[in-house]
Amino acid sequence: MRIKVGIVSFAHIHVVSYAEALKRIEGVELVGIMEEDRIRGPKYSEWFETKLFTNINDLLMQDLDAVIVTSENVHHKEHVIASASAGKHVLCEKPISVSIQDAQEMIDICKANQVLLQTAFPVRFNSSIIRAKEMIENGQLGKIIAVKGTNRGQCPGNWFVDVNKSGGGAVLDHTVHVTDILRWILGAEVKTVYAEVDNVFTNNLIDDSGILTMQFANGVFASLDCSWSRNATYPIWGDITLEIIGSKGTLSVDAFNQKLNVYTNKSGYNHSFWGDDMDEQLLRDFINSIQAGKEEASITGEDGLRALEVALAAYESSNDKAVITLKFH
Amino acid sequence: MFHVLIIGAGTMGKIHNQAFALMKDVKVVGVVDSNHDNKWMDGQVFSSFEQALETMNQIDVVDICVPTPFHLEYVKKAADAKLNIICEKPLARSVEEGQAIINYCKEKNVKLFVAHVLRFFPEYVQAKALIDSGTIGKIGVARTSRAGSFPQGLNDWYSDYQSSGGVILDMVIHDIDFLRWCFGEVERVYAKGTLGEGYEKLDYALITMRFKNGVIAHLEGSWAHSSFSMKFEFSGLTGVIAYDSAKDKPIELHAHTNDAGLGGVAVPESPLQTNPYYRELRHFLDCLKKEIDPLVSAEDALIAVKIALSAIESIRTSQPKWLD
Repeated sequence: MRIKVGIVSFAHIHVVSYAEALKRIEGVELVGIMEEDRIRGPKYSEWFETKLFTNINDLLMQDLDAVIVTSENVHHKEHVIASASAGKHVLCEKPISVSIQDAQEMIDICKANQVLLQTAFPVRFNSSIIRAKEMIENGQLGKIIAVKGTNRGQCPGNWFVDVNKSGGGAVLDHTVHVTDILRWILGAEVKTVYAEVDNVFTNNLIDDSGILTMQFANGVFASLDCSWSRNATYPIWGDITLEIIGSKGTLSVDAFNQKLNVYTNKSGYNHSFWGDDMDEQLLRDFINSIQAGKEEASITGEDGLRALEVALAAYESSNDKAVITLKFH
Repeated sequence: MFHVLIIGAGTMGKIHNQAFALMKDVKVVGVVDSNHDNKWMDGQVFSSFEQALETMNQIDVVDICVPTPFHLEYVKKAADAKLNIICEKPLARSVEEGQAIINYCKEKNVKLFVAHVLRFFPEYVQAKALIDSGTIGKIGVARTSRAGSFPQGLNDWYSDYQSSGGVILDMVIHDIDFLRWCFGEVERVYAKGTLGEGYEKLDYALITMRFKNGVIAHLEGSWAHSSFSMKFEFSGLTGVIAYDSAKDKPIELHAHTNDAGLGGVAVPESPLQTNPYYRELRHFLDCLKKEIDPLVSAEDALIAVKIALSAIESIRTSQPKWLD
């Protein structure tokens, strides 16, 4: 079955990688993109040799099976709801939304329209993360006690530091990835969150540094550094690391450490990643779910919502200087 | 000439003895240890402090390297004998005991140096110098890690949380003191950890500290790993300073253990003309000689204990703990 896909907005930095990946997947056609921005629109419609629409309804009137929503965080809701209402399956960029109510509404409307809603958590498709999950499930670490996680990176700038478009800075942007991975590999929900949050690296533009501590319902505790704490010339844009402590051993995961060390006069020292393309695997998985007629995406809207709850609890914790118990429990 | 009496023939006593042996103006007069089979000492072994005092006609410095719960007892004995004191970290198992140690030394007018050796590790000293000189701008996030296997001690005293205070009081206290040296006072602490419970020979803790100057610090302490490593990462507005002893290794021996050359254990080293323990002890003796204040005061050591115990309290209450 040939799957026809549209992309709503090229605002998010991940979208180019998604669009490139789409081209490599057989049986997939990029029908068009919706982009209001006068520079981005022509640029990317030309780049990907596809039609440009400046209004989402015009895109949704096309013969489409699915839509990838990669707009600014605050627009996810309207774009997901419009797509679902038009009967299109949706892959929505993380964070799923900027508020719990909005995320719940998006989930409900997708269900009512019987379309898939997948949250774009590509790290679930990183081969080292998958291998780590396998080792834990094989019992190689014994009982899991704790995890020390990081998702540090460079400040993405642009609308990411404009709270009216992003809904939040590093804490919202980076907490959701590792939270989702931890929920996935531990098979447990987060019970409490404590966080220290600040805004040093962006000179007070938006929250850019955060250390979260999470208590999971199964007794595991975890910390997460979600800071945009990498300076401009740091050799890599970001990281995902997990130090997993078990009763039988420890496991160190550095998900992007399949790299070459590249030294050039032009840009100093840089990492060149050669591992599997997790974005492509994410898209293949989404397309497969549509082709197989699955009732639920492999990573659901609820998964997106659970991760969002943790990020929002981190803000609350830092404001109140208190431990937050998630309402879900 | 400094005549040094070492109390305790365990790991630290041995390391200190080796460092003293390199100093021309130091003579280790003996070691007090009633339990240990004292193989590393060439000099005299005493079964008690009193016996050493009776036997030796000159002792200038007492170097206390016994488990934490015995610090107060030996500090009192040494201070009563009007001897200056070097005491291993952590200063004490409780703030009250630590305060008692400091008060007693003041009362008896003897010097007290607490062996927070991290302040003498050149990688840490240099990181602080870079931070202080503004190399990476204002610091946002600081991360430290100290990980290794569960330590072996006399009568397995590390397993007795009431005695050792576990990985936080015994290990993380190094990084606590170092971060305080860099960033000043701590406002509040939040931590999670196993508190030595539930698992044999395993302790693990993750600690968040907020400094009064705004820095957010994250500290990992582990007695759950199979090999030792220490790490830090400071992220500032204009750069990052990072160190990982497991990655940044100048020399590593891989000895073949059989004819096939398989199964060897890698042994890394960080060779220096004088090791950090030498630098630390040399500094303390120089402070005595020149009558100057040490780089790390007994009060610093007490505050480090206070912060470590606050982290432990945070784990017990599941609440952040404010330092006063």
